[in-house]
Amino acid sequence: MNTVKSKLCMAYWLVTASLFAGAVVMVFVWTPTEQTMGVVQKIFYLHLPVAINTFAACMVTFIASIGYLWQRRQVWDDLAVSSAKVAVLLCSIVLLTGMIWGHSAWGQWWTWSPRLTFSLVLWLLYVAYLVIRPSIESRQRRALVSAVYGVVAFLDVPLVYLSVKLMPDIHPSSIGLAPEMKTTLLFCFLPVTMLAVGLIAARYRLQRAETLSMQEAEDPPLDTIAADPAGGFT
Amino acid sequence: MTDVSAITAESIMPLADAVADTVSPAVRMRGLSKRYDERWVLRDITLDVPTGSYLALLGANGAGKSTLLHTLAMLSPATRGELSLFGESATRPSPTLRARLGMIGHQPMLYRDLSAVENLVFFGKLYGVSRPKQRAIDMLERVGLADRAQSVVKTFSRGMVQRLSIARALMHAPELLLADEPFSGLDVPSVQAVSALLAELHADGKTVILTNHDVRQSLELAQRVVVLGRGRVVSDRPVRDADVDDVTREVIG
Amino acid sequence: MTQVLRQIVLLSGKDLRIEARSRQTLGLVAVLGVLIVVVLGLGLGPERVKSGMAATAVLWVAYLFGGVLCFEKTMAVERHDGALAGLMLAPIDRGVIYAGKLLSNLTLMLALALIVTPVAVVMFGFDLSAAPFGFAAIMAGGFVGFAAIGTLFAAAVSSTRSQGGLLAIVVFPVSLPLVIVSTQMMMRLFGEGEPLGAVGLTVLIAFDAVYLVVSWLVFELILEP
Repeated sequence: MNTVKSKLCMAYWLVTASLFAGAVVMVFVWTPTEQTMGVVQKIFYLHLPVAINTFAACMVTFIASIGYLWQRRQVWDDLAVSSAKVAVLLCSIVLLTGMIWGHSAWGQWWTWSPRLTFSLVLWLLYVAYLVIRPSIESRQRRALVSAVYGVVAFLDVPLVYLSVKLMPDIHPSSIGLAPEMKTTLLFCFLPVTMLAVGLIAARYRLQRAETLSMQEAEDPPLDTIAADPAGGFT
Repeated sequence: MTDVSAITAESIMPLADAVADTVSPAVRMRGLSKRYDERWVLRDITLDVPTGSYLALLGANGAGKSTLLHTLAMLSPATRGELSLFGESATRPSPTLRARLGMIGHQPMLYRDLSAVENLVFFGKLYGVSRPKQRAIDMLERVGLADRAQSVVKTFSRGMVQRLSIARALMHAPELLLADEPFSGLDVPSVQAVSALLAELHADGKTVILTNHDVRQSLELAQRVVVLGRGRVVSDRPVRDADVDDVTREVIG
Repeated sequence: MTQVLRQIVLLSGKDLRIEARSRQTLGLVAVLGVLIVVVLGLGLGPERVKSGMAATAVLWVAYLFGGVLCFEKTMAVERHDGALAGLMLAPIDRGVIYAGKLLSNLTLMLALALIVTPVAVVMFGFDLSAAPFGFAAIMAGGFVGFAAIGTLFAAAVSSTRSQGGLLAIVVFPVSLPLVIVSTQMMMRLFGEGEPLGAVGLTVLIAFDAVYLVVSWLVFELILEP
């Protein structure tokens, strides 16, 4: 049983890797180079799929957070934190690729353009999620606060988007794409999405193992969980 | 003004309702289970507590006594099973159902920066008690705190706080009183005062459920003892059939 | 309906009575707010202070820090001696408990604003008279949204042990959209002299609605004695 699982796992990553290789070939060999931006434009084939997958990962955290609030099962919290970690990783890629793009387009690494600010705030939101967790000792309390945060943070995303819209904009909103470019872009979604899903799953398995070993180590007396342990009139 | 509880429970209630209430027990649990995380802290508890009875819940630390009491108080929902109070389901409790219940917890549930009478008036208003001020003064007299009515709670001793906490729980004349370790941390006179108050309520026809550590004391106070162990009912018997040593052995498990 | 309102006022009145008696929160928060204004004023230096635009940002910092302290304190009152369990036992809706806390927090924040804003106006030479109502509307919108999430997280984070700073680091990131939107609006209002229009107001109200509804729904799920 276990060997089958690990073989499937291996196969999954092999497929992902070969799709990535295919995507690279498509991007650099088959697709024509854009005229004004040159080779740097090719970063776009990574940038957009990763950005979309960032939202997807945030959404997984959101759903898992609701799941935790509803059922109070640790598995939901483990899933929420796993996808939050992947979201931060992906969002970092979005920020970096965005900055490289911005540097070649406007000659500056950072501009307070709405989209860049948006990515930055999104990144901050989920980095804060990860940073807050270790500072809460009780596992239940940590899961609870994280779940509330996971819900509010996700609903924040459209609000951040709306609020940065008030800033003056220089970002390209829509670019004319050659048909090959569109095909390549669509193809690039495949390996990136598989990578995101695979990372979340791998992270989740690790997290699960960690939690289970922690649970055994803690094994608190039952009544102390029922009431807040810091009770008593002093 | 006489005791409000006496009026609502006995003189006003029509006969038909009184009969209905004796038919549906004060508390009815069917397969009640509760999970924290992946651990079941209550497992498949099925019990009836008839109206007007006095029940003591015993068990070692971690047996699930407090959790059960919290569940009965509708402070947190059960994961599985059914709970009904006075024949009404407790899954989505109506305000009127909550008002029929009073609780004394580990913690006094009082505001330490408010005076005794302010605390009682506040909770009385929350419950919609009529003439809350008068009722508060009556209750303070009943628990022997009339002379400290205007003092701020943080100046009170442990025993006085506990008595005030009972007054708070009884402000709205509940028909069912849940008491979580009401004697812990009290000196001997306070223990006697509190147990006398509980006995008085029981004599008034109210239902009382308490958790306790002290087996001998529980057997003296209650009519019926239920021992919990690892979230299950270990034994359930009337006090007259219970022997201190037997029950103690069951509690230790 | 009137009964619900009466309950909310009862709950909040109790909080304010406790606050009036102990005078812990407001004194602390007011001094903190003034300190923030002074420190930032010194840090920015006389030239940038005189530009006027810095005032709104500085005020926001003061409100955010002060607000978080208010949320912490009003919830600590319930956690002490398990009073929250007493509220949860009572025949009132969980939403009423939330609304009562929110009202207490908003009242405290309003008191804070009434103390800190004049200080900043004087020290930063901020010309509030250009658009006093726009300023009040934007700040009020910001306060409601901020207090809505703050009240929610105070209930989630709080336990009787002091969690110094934890609430702040939880609440600040999620209230970033509010800060962005209100500072942008302030810039238009005072920088470009563009009056606050229907669109701006709608955006603020929409923000508050989102935060209020979410917090109210989630609060019910997380409230624990």
